[in-house]
Formats: sequence, C-alpha cells, structure tokens
Amino acid sequence: MALQAGANGLPFTPVIGLLNSDYMKINPDFNVMKDPFSDNEYVVVPPIIPDVAVIHAFKGDSFGNVITDSFRNDRLLAMAARKTIAVIEELVDPDEVLPGKHGVFVSMAHIDAVVEAPRGAHPTACRDAYDIDIAHISMYMQAAKNDADFKSYLEKYIVGPADHNEYLELVGCEVPQ
Amino acid sequence: MNEKQIHPFETMIVVISRLIDNGEVVATGTLSPIPAAALFLAQMRQAPDLVPMVYGDPDMRITDGLLEFFGLAQRGMIDLFFLSAIQIDRKGNFNLSAIGDYNRPKLRLPGGAGSNMMIMMAKRTIFFTLMHNPKLFVPQIDFINGTAQDSTIAWRRGSISHLVTPLCLLKYDQSKEAIVLDSTFPGTTPQTVAENTGFDLDITGRDIPEIDPITQEELDLLRGDVKEKLMRVYPLFCTMIWG
Repeated sequence: MALQAGANGLPFTPVIGLLNSDYMKINPDFNVMKDPFSDNEYVVVPPIIPDVAVIHAFKGDSFGNVITDSFRNDRLLAMAARKTIAVIEELVDPDEVLPGKHGVFVSMAHIDAVVEAPRGAHPTACRDAYDIDIAHISMYMQAAKNDADFKSYLEKYIVGPADHNEYLELVGCEVPQ
Repeated sequence: MNEKQIHPFETMIVVISRLIDNGEVVATGTLSPIPAAALFLAQMRQAPDLVPMVYGDPDMRITDGLLEFFGLAQRGMIDLFFLSAIQIDRKGNFNLSAIGDYNRPKLRLPGGAGSNMMIMMAKRTIFFTLMHNPKLFVPQIDFINGTAQDSTIAWRRGSISHLVTPLCLLKYDQSKEAIVLDSTFPGTTPQTVAENTGFDLDITGRDIPEIDPITQEELDLLRGDVKEKLMRVYPLFCTMIWG
C-alpha cells in the first residue's frame, strides 16, 4: 500500500492491520488516524519511494518498454521508484512489446535503463523460460552459513566473473552467442 | 521411505486438509508447503469446489502479484489462510519477527507485517509449525506481530481457528480466549504435548482423543497426485519428504 501511495504521489495512505501489534512501538512512521467517514481508527503510513528499483523482465525494447511476470509487482515498483533499471531476458523490437497481450506491460515512462541479460534471474527461476537451479541454491545456502564460505562464494561467483557470460559459463548455463 | 512410515509433516498435511471446508476461498502464502499440500489434498477429496490460491503455483492466474492477493484479503474475500511463527503464547499472540530485544535481536526474521493484516482479514487462520517445543510455545512472546482475536477493532474480520504441530492438533477456544489441546497424533500422549509446551493447554480432567487414523486413500493421494502438484511449487520440500 505504501508503494501504491508512492506510485500515485499520495502524501500518506491508510493500511489495514497493525493496530494491535508491537509494530506500533518500533516504527515511528506508523500513526493512527480516525477515518472521517466511518469514525473507525486506522494506521496511516508515509509513501515508499525507492531511489532505485531493479526489476527482471521477460523481454523489452531499447526504449525501456518491458514485459514482466504477473506474479510480481514490478510495474508497481517501477511506478513508485525515482529510477528503475529493467534487466531483460531478451532485447526485441518495439512491435513485440505491446500492452494487453501476455505478461504485464510496463511502459518506458517508468523505466530508466534496460540491461539485456539472458538467464539473468539465475539461480532463481524465470517463469516459462527456465527453472530454479536447485543445486546452486543449495550450495549458496551452505555457503551462507558462515562468513568464510560466504566470502569464497562471493569471490567465485559474484566478484570473480568478468561479465555475465563468464558467470553463465561458470555456473554451467548455456552462453548465448 | 518405508511404505508404512508416515512422516510427521505428512500427518500435519492430512490433519490440516480435514479442516478445510468445501467452497471456501483458501490461500497459502510464501514458504508454506504443508498448507499448500493440505489444500491440494482437500481439493481432491471433500472440497472440490474450494477456490485455491497457492502463492507461487503456476496455475494461480492473477495478474498483479502480492498487490492483488493482499487486495483480495483486505476486502474480506479470503476464508482461510495459514501462518507459522517462531513464538506463540497461550492467548494466541504470535511472533514472526525477532527473538530477544527487537533492536538487538538474537534472531531476526524477514518481514512479518503482512501476517498482521492477513490474520485480521482472513475469516480464519490455521497455524502450522515445523516443531513443537517450549521455545516455540512460550508464556510470553518477545514481539507481537498479531493477536488471535481482538474485539476492540470494529473492522477486524477473523481469528485463529487451529494450530497444527508435528505432535498434535491445537485449537483456539473463543470462550476461554486461549489455545487448548484438541487431539494428539498417533504415538504422542497429551502428557508429552504438555511437557513440550511452555503454557497450560487445559488438559486436566479432559478426555483428549487421538486423531482419526490416516487412511490409505489419503496417503495414496498425498504421495501421488498431491506430491505431483506440489513439486511444481515446492520441489525442495517434496524431495526432503519423499526423496
């Protein structure tokens, strides 16, 4: 709801819930207001306006129009953020990125940069394109258990590869030509 | 796995599935393989007309992610939801955020605020926990993410109905405003449950039954069609339970 407020330029928004929880003690942003219409009390919060949002999309054009997964709120994020970077699986012609066909259309009005990165969601899944890499996720979870192993993981897979293709090669994915 | 051995999580799935009524709008959130399996099992048995909303299921065709999901809940359109917790007290207050002082926690979990909205706005919520011990069921919780019920909030819609653990089925007693023991799983006595719970479950002088045995039909469906559907949403969980 706070992102929704950000996307719509609202000064604050009521949210459902929170009233009887300890969230009211730890977050000074949560305030209580009386609804002038029903006289019920609700919690109100300020809008969330991220400086930068990074979203992952199935495809996009060089102008910044992209098609994202309906399971995610990528359009909402793009609309709320000051700047949005769209990572796309495939760079296509503008004619292939139209609203109202498949997927969720996010207009270039909300996108600041497009990065083409096939299998860019690895090791997580990109629906209909490829599945989650369970072996890699398991290895990551193991590595995340202590600082030394996690550091080695970062060095090998994140800092090590010179570019995206080198990463794909390292994790055993097919490297696009 | 030995054909005859039933995993505690399998028992939990069957027990939860029996609590689901036909025609209900039933939703499961993230990291909820046990309720998701229970939903599928209920759908294949007594509740063919339930409306399933398994978050992460490719068959759930919504177009606006969590925003749409939360919107449905906030409008009071979800009948049954599922939550877990790291601490629960006798009154049914639950903690999903932090162990210890919130600002200097021994353990910190991600998120949890959505659970407060869900428990207030779903008609009823069933808790599932992966363990049953006095660290989970405590006299006093460290952080209140939500309460079992609250008569002071006019727009609140729902409350906790049951809690399912690897040992037993607990229920929330509205008149006592407390969690009480409903029935135990095979091989577990009310005494064992009491010893593993950090508060009184009102077992003295009450006859606590064992759950009805899991039928071959339930087990076959669970290890067949349910597993197949669940594999598409929770492959790691399926591999852990069924190999």
